[in-house]
Amino acid sequence: MVCIRQATIDDLLAMQACNLMCLPENYQMKYYLYHMLSWPQLLFVAEDYGGRIVGYVLAKMEEDPSEPCHGHITSLAVLRSHRKLGLATKLMSAAQAAMDQVFGAEYVSLHVRRSNRAAFNLYTSTLGYQIHDIEAKYYADGEDAFDMRKPLRQPQPKKHHHHHHHHGPGGCCSHDAPPAAAAGSSPSSRLNLWRGADGHTLCFLFFFFFFELLD
Amino acid sequence: MASKFGLAGGIPERRVRPIWDAVDSRQYKAALKLCTALLAKHPTSPYVLALKALILERMGKPDEALSVSLDAKERLYSDNIFHFDDLTLSTLQIVFQRLERLDLATSCYEYACTKYPSNLELMMGLFNCYVREYSYVKQQQTAIKMYKTVGEERFLLWAICSIQLQVHFSSGGEKLLPLAEALLKKHISSHSLHEPEALALYVSILEQQAKYDAALEVLSGDMGSLLGREEDKLRLQGRLLAHASSYVAASEIYQKVLESCPDDWESFLHYIGCLLEHDVNLPKPCTGEHASPSCSVDSAMTKKSCLSEELVESRLASALSFVQRLQESNSSDCVRGPHLASIEIERQRCLNGIPNDRKLIEALVKYFSRFGHLSCSASDVATYLHMLSSDEITELLAEISGSFDASSVSVNTLGLTVTLVKVQELLGMLFTKSTAELQGIAKGLVDTFYRNLPLSNDLDPQESMYGEELLSMASSILVQLFWRTRNLGYLLEAILVLEFGLTVRKYVWQYKINLVHLYSYLGALPLAHKWYITLEVKNILLESVSHHILPQLLDSPFLQHAADLVKDYLKFMDDHLKESADLTCLAYRHRTYSKVIEFVQFKDRLQRSMQYLSAKSDSVMLQLKQKAESLEEVESILENASHGTRLVEVSNEDNMKQLTFNEDLEARPWWTPTSSVNFLSEQFDEGSTPSSYRNKMCKHKSEEKGGPKLKDAERKSLVPRLVYLSTHGCAYFLREGGRNNGSCNVTAAGEMKTLLEKYARSIGYSIDDALSIVLGMSSGKKAVKDYTPDIVSWMSFTVFINAWNLCSTESVIPATEFSSPNSWDMVDILLKICIEEQLTDGNRMLTSPGNNIPLLVRMVTEPISWHLLIIQSCMRGMAPQGKKKKKGGPSERPNTPQLLAIQSSVNRMVDTLRRVQTWLSDQMKPEEQALDVLLSYLQGTSTEGPGQISRTLDESAVTVSSEIGGRIAQSLESWSSAGVIRKILGAEKETIAEFKKICDSKLKLLMSESASLSSMLH
Repeated sequence: MVCIRQATIDDLLAMQACNLMCLPENYQMKYYLYHMLSWPQLLFVAEDYGGRIVGYVLAKMEEDPSEPCHGHITSLAVLRSHRKLGLATKLMSAAQAAMDQVFGAEYVSLHVRRSNRAAFNLYTSTLGYQIHDIEAKYYADGEDAFDMRKPLRQPQPKKHHHHHHHHGPGGCCSHDAPPAAAAGSSPSSRLNLWRGADGHTLCFLFFFFFFELLD
Repeated sequence: MASKFGLAGGIPERRVRPIWDAVDSRQYKAALKLCTALLAKHPTSPYVLALKALILERMGKPDEALSVSLDAKERLYSDNIFHFDDLTLSTLQIVFQRLERLDLATSCYEYACTKYPSNLELMMGLFNCYVREYSYVKQQQTAIKMYKTVGEERFLLWAICSIQLQVHFSSGGEKLLPLAEALLKKHISSHSLHEPEALALYVSILEQQAKYDAALEVLSGDMGSLLGREEDKLRLQGRLLAHASSYVAASEIYQKVLESCPDDWESFLHYIGCLLEHDVNLPKPCTGEHASPSCSVDSAMTKKSCLSEELVESRLASALSFVQRLQESNSSDCVRGPHLASIEIERQRCLNGIPNDRKLIEALVKYFSRFGHLSCSASDVATYLHMLSSDEITELLAEISGSFDASSVSVNTLGLTVTLVKVQELLGMLFTKSTAELQGIAKGLVDTFYRNLPLSNDLDPQESMYGEELLSMASSILVQLFWRTRNLGYLLEAILVLEFGLTVRKYVWQYKINLVHLYSYLGALPLAHKWYITLEVKNILLESVSHHILPQLLDSPFLQHAADLVKDYLKFMDDHLKESADLTCLAYRHRTYSKVIEFVQFKDRLQRSMQYLSAKSDSVMLQLKQKAESLEEVESILENASHGTRLVEVSNEDNMKQLTFNEDLEARPWWTPTSSVNFLSEQFDEGSTPSSYRNKMCKHKSEEKGGPKLKDAERKSLVPRLVYLSTHGCAYFLREGGRNNGSCNVTAAGEMKTLLEKYARSIGYSIDDALSIVLGMSSGKKAVKDYTPDIVSWMSFTVFINAWNLCSTESVIPATEFSSPNSWDMVDILLKICIEEQLTDGNRMLTSPGNNIPLLVRMVTEPISWHLLIIQSCMRGMAPQGKKKKKGGPSERPNTPQLLAIQSSVNRMVDTLRRVQTWLSDQMKPEEQALDVLLSYLQGTSTEGPGQISRTLDESAVTVSSEIGGRIAQSLESWSSAGVIRKILGAEKETIAEFKKICDSKLKLLMSESASLSSMLH
């Protein structure tokens, strides 16, 4: 590598090429784009001296308002030819720093396959993550995942929650519910997700898709 | 008008909820039932109607859905409507969008907004409608209206974004920049800005107007603190300063960046550029496309500085001491930037004519001694290696090989071994070695791989093995040996080495890609396809990676595989283009304004993709090829493809000029730098130098975006329409039974002429010249060989000329001194000559890779298919029609001369196809016999010639369990070279069988046509 920089959408081609060269990634492109368009500050690529993308980290902020403000690492990839150069550490540090500095995240979480010893070691010994929970059969092939976390700062009073770019009305799909959904029962807020005017539909579709992924 | 508490679209929410739940769980039948019941109670509710439309659409009933949603729209518009709310509108919007009627959705919102002019929710809905339609001006107007209504910063920024999009996508859009600036300034003076993305947008508006100082002032003011990360701000400042030609200040800023991020190579290059006062406003090469790093040259950085030599010298010296400071304070192996920087500084010295003696080589030696064990070290310095003289190269290689003990087994040693060969590979040094030397190197690499296998025994199967590159390099050398000697054994060994590697670990993508190309070349396409499938290419990779297999599949008898691949690709592209507007809405909502612009540009880039355009034609062509024996099926395929008109439209000149090429060619093996080039099909040039190969490769890569491919795509896009006009025109003409018919046919003939002119132009000729060439070829006056590269196109051209001649009111074939030749004869003879030439030239498929099967397949599946369709259509046109037959009697006289011409054509086609069949049967040998033939290539006993490596592999597989054991031993249990060879034979056989099947079905059709012809003539 050399440059760890924020990704642009044109990098998408090269980023997915990394998947080809590492292990096939099962996320749909929509999912990548959802990250890129929502939290571009958290998305970093490692660029080699020739301008080639040799690694990337894809991360997001948790959108569920019932949980404390935190980030989540969705995907991390480094080309085999560029392993053992500390790239993964640099990418992760960049994403974590942005979660903290831009969004005020309290902690960062990630999932890792139980069998992925190399990644597990990276997360625990180099990056200071700890096992928070074990999610049974998290992956499509039935393998368990470790739910790992790393604190970024002391828990903040609730007001810091989502103080990021979603402030103001209509920012995020999870709050500022318009009157129709204010009743608060779960189906009605779900109903509200279908409301397309300010794009809620997409959020819904996104979650829908996401659950499909976990099936 | 807004929904009341507990009401959804005017309907009690508890009544609607179960319907949505059913939709969510895809219980559409149940949802429809509930909805129908609700509709009985509220028969005029637009919301319930919209819901019903939505359910119908999900159930796959688009027509019903459209009519119900239009009904809902009508009711919304009627005056007595009470609940005109956003929920109804947004539901309708979803339905209209899915029905691809964005215009209807937009008009609903437009109507609502005129009715309730200051309703913010409706205006946001309308804004999103315009975003989906890419109507930037209307977006801007709506956003401004929202901004004026509520005064919120984000709506102003939506408007600014819409202006930016006009700047990027409409001519003259940059005139709007001052307006954007003024709007922002006014807002800032009263409200300032509150979001980093807003600041970035403001700065970019200023930057685009070259107001660098103003932008810098904004950054250093209060708003500058919005950029959360200090380095981001510094980089932006550095860029603005450089643009403003404040080089000293810019270089100081970049120094600061490097102090906190010593590995930031881009900033380092800017730093050097500023020190040497390079103009940063020079256009950058190939932006927005897949660049090929190995060929591209940074235009600004390779120029000589305009400063005096002394000044350059002193500035570079200060840069060097700065970089050395960085090196000292960053001792970790992970920070390579500052070390590489000192090499770049030496390069700059050379470029600026400062006598450097040995500084560059010394810097490189130093770099390798520190980082040589890393697998990226050779590619890190690739550009610099090419600057060395041959003595220096020898010295460097000696230094590297002297720095380790090659016989020891360790990760470090292995890394250095790989680097040593990789440097030679990069420099093209291997081309200068003798056959014996190369063979020794390849053997050594395989041995080293085997010796170091124990290092990888404890790794997870998904982790890459140590020294994986060794096998790629060995295989690559073996391919070169094949190219030089044409000894098939080397090619087989090149395959065996990679197959061996994949038996040890099945995830190595580089092995797979190389195998895809080797098997394709060898004529064992099913194996190539099999490995390609295991790459699990999907999503955007379909755009950038398909080129490894798609071109070969398109020219193969495996039409279904090709059709599947094209279908997957088109589905991905179509879906993405459909969905991307919704994602743009998301970016607006999440206020990531810079991404809005990037994302729309990205969509535009994909929409203009060359491969996308090409695949649209391929998709129709493949269907036609698969169904060419049934005129009815072909007609329905064409009907679904708008009779080929849309394809002709998309390949208009304007579109062709703006195409993008997104293929990632970097991963292709050296012998086939692009899909249209294969060095192995050319002669090996003994006299060429390493650098001439590099140049050749780069030339091919840059030409990929030019002529031949475009012409090919343009030509393909004409074929479906030509097939339609040919079949349609002939049938019509013959049914009318003469040359006295109406205007319909005149138009068809006129259109055919225009298309054939275009077709001829795409081969490089005017239609008249092209006509005389095909006449020359069919009369034996011109040699077919002279027109080889486009021969299939020439054949198709001739076929279409015959059709045009049939339906044209005047003879299109110029009369020769003897007579006006029959256009049927011309086709029959030309097709025969062209195909027979392939059959006599054809070598034994088994032992001659790069054979002409793909060409033959194209001849049979394209021109012959089109010709058979024309025959079928003539036959149908001339067949006595049911009713007339009963009434008609003597007035219904067969057109005997035409029938005779068709009969002779049918007979000649039968003859030609039978020859192909015979030739194909000759290729097939009993498996054991064929196996012996191929294995005999690997029996060499001397140190020269192939065979040693395959024996090494077989022996290794046997000893592995005792020497290494574990997982690797287990995976190698099944290894056998002969097994791989057997699979190759199987794949070749499958290819021939598939091709024979295609010929069979064509022959069957011809036989039945022949029978009907005889009965019609007698």
